[in-house]
Parts: sequence; C-alpha cells; structure tokens
Amino acid sequence: MKRMILVLTIVALLSGTALAITYSALLPRIERNQQIALERSLGALFQSAESPEFELADIEGADAPQIYTARSGGSLIGYAVRVVTTGYGGEIRLLVGLGPQLQRITGMEVVEHVETPGLGANINSASFKQQFQGLQPGQDISYVKGGSASAEENEIEAISGATISTKAVVSGINATLDRALALLADQAGKETEE
Amino acid sequence: MKDSTMLSHFSKGLIKNNPVFVQVLGMCPTLAVTTSVVNGLAMGAATTFVVFFSAAIASVINSIVPNQVRIPVYAVIIATFVTIADLVLKAFFPPLSASLGPYVPLIVVNCMIMGRIEAFATRNPLAPSLADALGMGAGFTGALMLLGGVREILGSGELFGATILGETYTPMLIMILPPGAFLALGIMMAIFNQLQESGAPILRKAG
Repeated sequence: MKRMILVLTIVALLSGTALAITYSALLPRIERNQQIALERSLGALFQSAESPEFELADIEGADAPQIYTARSGGSLIGYAVRVVTTGYGGEIRLLVGLGPQLQRITGMEVVEHVETPGLGANINSASFKQQFQGLQPGQDISYVKGGSASAEENEIEAISGATISTKAVVSGINATLDRALALLADQAGKETEE
Repeated sequence: MKDSTMLSHFSKGLIKNNPVFVQVLGMCPTLAVTTSVVNGLAMGAATTFVVFFSAAIASVINSIVPNQVRIPVYAVIIATFVTIADLVLKAFFPPLSASLGPYVPLIVVNCMIMGRIEAFATRNPLAPSLADALGMGAGFTGALMLLGGVREILGSGELFGATILGETYTPMLIMILPPGAFLALGIMMAIFNQLQESGAPILRKAG
C-alpha cells in the first residue's frame, strides 16, 4: 500500500520536473515561432496594402485585447485585433482586421488552433474566413446553418459538423470586438482632447 | 547467438509483427495523419521516440512498480514523453507541428505504446526492450510512410511535396480525404497478408 503511493508519487514528481525543464528550455523558441506565425497572419490581413507596418497599440485597461495598428507609408490603414477563444480542441487564436474608421471588418485570420482536422479545422479554410469580410464590427455576428447566411444581417454560415468551433470563433470575436471598439473610441476621444 | 536474438527482437516489428499491418494497433494516427509521406514520417518518428524511452524506463523500473499502480505509472511516463515530443516539434518544426495538429498529443492513447510496454518491456531486460521498441517504431513509421506515400501520390499527384505525376494527372481527391485512408489501408493490408501467406522470400528473410 505504502509502496504503491510512494512509487506513483516519485514517478509523477520526476515527470513533472522533466516537463518543467523541457518547457522552460524550449519556451523562447516556441514563442518566437508564435511571433512569426502572428506576423504572417498580420501580413495576410493587409496583403493588399503596400509594405504595411504593424505596431502594438498602447491601450490600457483591464483585460484589454491586444490591438495592432497597421500603417502603410505613414497613414493608418486599419487595425488588427487579437482574439483568443476556446474551441473544441483547445485555444483558438485569431486576428480580426478592422478598417481605419472601424466601420467594417476587413478580414479574419486564424493564427493557431487545434480543432479536429476535416471538421473544426475548417475555421482556417478560405471560404469560412472570407465570410467575415465586410461584416459590421459594431453589432454581434451570428451564425446560421443551411446556407441562408446573409452578410447584411451580419450572419455567417456555420461549418457543418463543427458548430462548437464556429460558435467559439463567433462569440470570441463578438466579445473581443465589443471591448476593442470601446477602447479604440476612448483612445480617439483622448487624442482629440489633446 | 545473442546478437541474432537481439536482431530478431528488432526485426519482428518490421514485417512479421508489423504494428499496423499485422497487429492492427494505433489505427487513429495511421488513418488520420497519413495524407502525405512527410506527415507519416513525422508521426512515426514522434511515436518511435515515445515508445523507445517509455519502454526503456518501464523495463528498468518494472521490478519496483507494484502491480496495482502499473497502468497509472506507465501512463504518466508515456504522457511525459509525448508532451516532450510535442514541445520539441513546436519549437523546431512549427509547420509539421501545425499539420499534425492534435494528433501529437493523441500519441498518449496510441495503444501500440502501452501494448509494447505491457507485452514486452515489463517482461524483458533493457536491451531486448530497446530493440523491440525500435523495431516496432520502425515498422510503424514504415507503414505510415508507405500509406502516406500511396495517398499523396494518388490524392495530390505529389511525393514529398514535389509533383511527380505531371499536369495531365487529375488527383483523386478522395485519397487524401478520410475515406481514402480506409481504402488504401484495407487494400495494402490485403496485399501485405497475401504476400506473407504465400511466403514471399523477401518477407521470410526479413521476418
């Protein structure tokens, strides 16, 4: 009885130690890879712009989302908002592009996900991502099934067989954009006061 | 004598007891990730890494592990090596890690690994256990690459990402979709068993 507990405890402790060491040793590299993936997605969001430059906007506030400003030749061409949401298989990280006047969503890019291949992984398909182009960031996006989605109603078509992934993406974008728009409006207000 | 038994511990995993074609173990990754040779190779290598080190530790600590906690202890050890493999892939091969997606963490439940530990590593000393794990890993990798190769050639007209069937070939898309995995695996398994039954000399020699 005692030996049983002892052996399992020691094995678990050693495993934990081994994992902690590996994780901390590899973390810098993993973070750099994530940064590269993020930059690639940022570029894809503003691919029509000529040599866009991105900068993390200096926005303060509790649980403020990360917002990147995109500039091309010095003039503001839009924003990219980082959205982190929980899908079926784990965390989904994506970016939502906004026009410079915040009136339209200009695109959506999935940076990282572990959804089921063939089903939830289709959130990263071009046909799904395209649906977000032109939607209004000010009101909630909803998803519908059966091919009846209309962009005027701020609707997208859910991926068949992957409602959980679709829901995660939509609700994550809605919640984060709400917050982001408020923060950006605040900031714009401050700038005009100055 | 000793060398030849060691060799047979290794080589039985390649053909005679091939984990995929004969033991039919680890079907989840076999069917899921074999859309290309490279995916098959990466999944095979990651699995080999896990089975090698898990079998090594299981074989060494077997005598001090009480029978009641045998399964949890080995599950923890396997999960540890799987997580290490996942982190290494993320750090050094991000595109592979992205294309294998959730299937790397799922190596934890690959029954081939627990199977080899239970059936072999816990009953044998270190050296034969390592030979057995390497052989099984190699057999698994080979099967996955073979399956990945067939599906990649037929399904996208490419091999290792390079076009080999030319522009005139229309890829059979179904081969890289899930049904293609079942079709290819079933046909290959039939061929494999037929060859083995008829005692093709090449197989007898290797087995």
